[in-house]
Amino acid sequence: MSVIGKRLVDQVKSTGWKSTIAQRLDDGFTRFTAGLSWNDVRGVLRGDPAPKPNPRVKPHTEAFWFHIRPTFYHEAVTTLYPTFRLGLLSAVFFTIEIITGIFLMIFYTPSPERAYTNMIDILTNVPFGSFMRDMHRLGAEAMVIVVTLHMVRTFTTGSYKKPRQFTWFTGVVLLVVTLFLSFSGYLLPWDQLSFWAVTIGTSMADAAPVFGPTVNLLLRGAPDIGAGGLLRFYLMHVVLFPLIGIIFVAVHYYKVVRWGISLPPEMEPIGEDNARKVPPDKRVNFLPDIATNEIMYAGIAFAVLAISCVTWYSAPLETHANPLATPNHTVAPWYFYWLQGLLKIPHIIPILPGSIATALDQFFANVLGLTPKVFWGVIVGPLVFVLLFAVPYIDPNPSRRYGDRKIMLAFGGVFAALILYLSLAGIPTGVPVTGFGYVGGTPPSEVAQEFMPDEGEGALMTIPFDQMIVGEHAVRPDANVPDAPKLSRVLAEVYHSMERRKAAPDPLGQILNPEATATVKITQIQPDLKQISININFTDVNGIAQQFTKYKFIHKESGRAH
Amino acid sequence: MIKKIITFRPSFTVRILAGLISFIAIIAACMVAGVADLTQALSTRDANFRARLIEEGARVYMDQCARCHGVEGKGIEGQGPSLSSSNFFNNRVKEVGWNSTLETYIAAVTKSGIPLKSSPMWEVTHPPFLERFGGPLREDQIDNVVRFVMNWKQSPIDSMDVIEAPKPGEAFAPLPTPVPLTPAQEEGRNLFLSNGCNACHAIRGVANGAIGPSLNRIYEDAMMWIASEEYKASQGQATTPEEYIRESIVNPQAFIVPECPQGACPAGVMPPNYADTIPPADLDKIIDYLATLGRPAGE
Repeated sequence: MSVIGKRLVDQVKSTGWKSTIAQRLDDGFTRFTAGLSWNDVRGVLRGDPAPKPNPRVKPHTEAFWFHIRPTFYHEAVTTLYPTFRLGLLSAVFFTIEIITGIFLMIFYTPSPERAYTNMIDILTNVPFGSFMRDMHRLGAEAMVIVVTLHMVRTFTTGSYKKPRQFTWFTGVVLLVVTLFLSFSGYLLPWDQLSFWAVTIGTSMADAAPVFGPTVNLLLRGAPDIGAGGLLRFYLMHVVLFPLIGIIFVAVHYYKVVRWGISLPPEMEPIGEDNARKVPPDKRVNFLPDIATNEIMYAGIAFAVLAISCVTWYSAPLETHANPLATPNHTVAPWYFYWLQGLLKIPHIIPILPGSIATALDQFFANVLGLTPKVFWGVIVGPLVFVLLFAVPYIDPNPSRRYGDRKIMLAFGGVFAALILYLSLAGIPTGVPVTGFGYVGGTPPSEVAQEFMPDEGEGALMTIPFDQMIVGEHAVRPDANVPDAPKLSRVLAEVYHSMERRKAAPDPLGQILNPEATATVKITQIQPDLKQISININFTDVNGIAQQFTKYKFIHKESGRAH
Repeated sequence: MIKKIITFRPSFTVRILAGLISFIAIIAACMVAGVADLTQALSTRDANFRARLIEEGARVYMDQCARCHGVEGKGIEGQGPSLSSSNFFNNRVKEVGWNSTLETYIAAVTKSGIPLKSSPMWEVTHPPFLERFGGPLREDQIDNVVRFVMNWKQSPIDSMDVIEAPKPGEAFAPLPTPVPLTPAQEEGRNLFLSNGCNACHAIRGVANGAIGPSLNRIYEDAMMWIASEEYKASQGQATTPEEYIRESIVNPQAFIVPECPQGACPAGVMPPNYADTIPPADLDKIIDYLATLGRPAGE
């Protein structure tokens, strides 16, 4: 009989069958958890105080998953402040993105011929397809917000200071990776929204001097975005950036094990770092306290995301990408609005009076070949990230206390305010107060865009099909089409929108002449298909009577009405 | 209050409870999504997307196809047959001997076209519309056009003015036999091309422009419009077809034809400055040439 068999027999003889099986199962369990027996785990789950010696420390040295987590934290960092759990939430969203992303990958082909059809298939033929896509999309937007807030928090509490300079550096890399992940995913549905947002984004790269056109060509794989560009963005989205992300998350996490989470600034002697010098009575062990805490926050984040996706959120899918037709009000993704705002700055030195600023622009253009767009969008834009990378190395102040860091905090506040202001300027309607950044069309086309946008839905398109009464309806405040309350309401809305534009010029100084009128014409094309067009009769700046017309086809089953 | 929030540390019980509730909420959300998908949501979204693709097809049809097949798909004489009659839906596949469905037939013809007179049935060529074959449309756009055309099947249009495709061996009513051109008219045709008129206007065998009206029967059309009420109410002053053509070139805003395939014809599309850019002698030759199109024999 073999040695192992003999031991088993001996054990059964001395303790009996039941005890032997229980003992062997527990041994296996202990091997699986790298040092915690079944009773230890039950203690963890019940929240029992740790026995002495503490077996719950062992997995942190023995096991893979726990070795990237610290054994204990200082009690002071386990409250909501100072971390707000933003780093954890970033990792949670990253994980959700990977899971939902793999699901979506199964049904997706990165080719212009197939991509859009695949998207429709995911939404109309794959159980959970729409749910997974909503989660992936909303999770990505949430991740951008959470990662940015995480950085804001780290800056505010001064946690980038020695010895965590490199942790900050990897964090900025992860912020850039997050932005690029989100941006590269934008193109994949191959609808109008994605196509034009990415065209704008890569055009920014194109404007860079010297290497810009080459970078643009490498990104797009051709002068314009097409099959090559889609494949490249897909590979960046599912291979390159996730890989960089996972590697840097690992480094980032390792740094937390190595240096701990920085204490609230007021608890530390100036210039020292005590995060790892925790007196025994201030220690909070990872198992079970931190682990259950993190699982709870992860669960809440996941639940909020999932509930959002079944209640109010639904990821947009516009019409098939059309390189020949740019929709009005095309924008980059919202987290690049500030970059669009930078591109709209009219002069290289904008605070000077107009004529001097123009003369200086001339000078820069002639001497350095530098236009305002190149300067602000391509040189200053990326400099923002260089600045972020450099923050721990250019801040000489050893103190992390808020009172000692007034200049840096003020600088951070101004920086955040500037980014928000530029983001406002980046949207097509510009900053409401100053008008900076307004790029709308003529007033008639803006009226049409408001009620019948090129992409997405406007009020004229959401009228129930049976209320679309065939005929030509004048736009009036008291419009009252029989049996069509919604149509009547929208006609009045169009009237008020026109009156608004007649009363106040838009930021470009354009105004709709007071006599301008409009009609909404509805024609039957097929039994279940109607054409709805808005016709605006106005007089242009040269005094010539003009008509602006825009039309859409609406199918009975299109599900727009609400 | 703020201090309470920022020093918040959930107790063990709160953690377990909140975690459990979150877990149940996640499962519930997944179940709601799954049950919705497996009962109604998928088919509703499917219907919505089908409808929206028909809408897209309608836009492409009006831009590209209505010029020859008509807004209501009734067909236009000498240009294209009906695409909305019951004859089209019931008999076309059999007539042409296509060994598959009508959908694939429409798609195939739209994509690759029908070469000129490859069959005695066709007098008129159907151009290829697929980008890959030199046309203006992507594959998905043509698929949407097919969806739009097939949407007529539920209630075909069988009025008297439907233009049916000719039976095998027949041909469309041909255009008036082209009159042999005089050297001056020949020169007029060349000037028509060299001044870029062909970029917007179509003349069978000469030009393929798709923005302005086709000029195949411009003489006949001119006579019709001069006699019309709409023309008399406009600023137009022409009394002969030649004058009408001249007026359309030098003062295009004088009269705008009311009905276009996409609805009311837009004004201001034709550039108003040809009187300045084309020398008068050349203009005369172009008008001389255009007046041969659609002119009844003997006039």
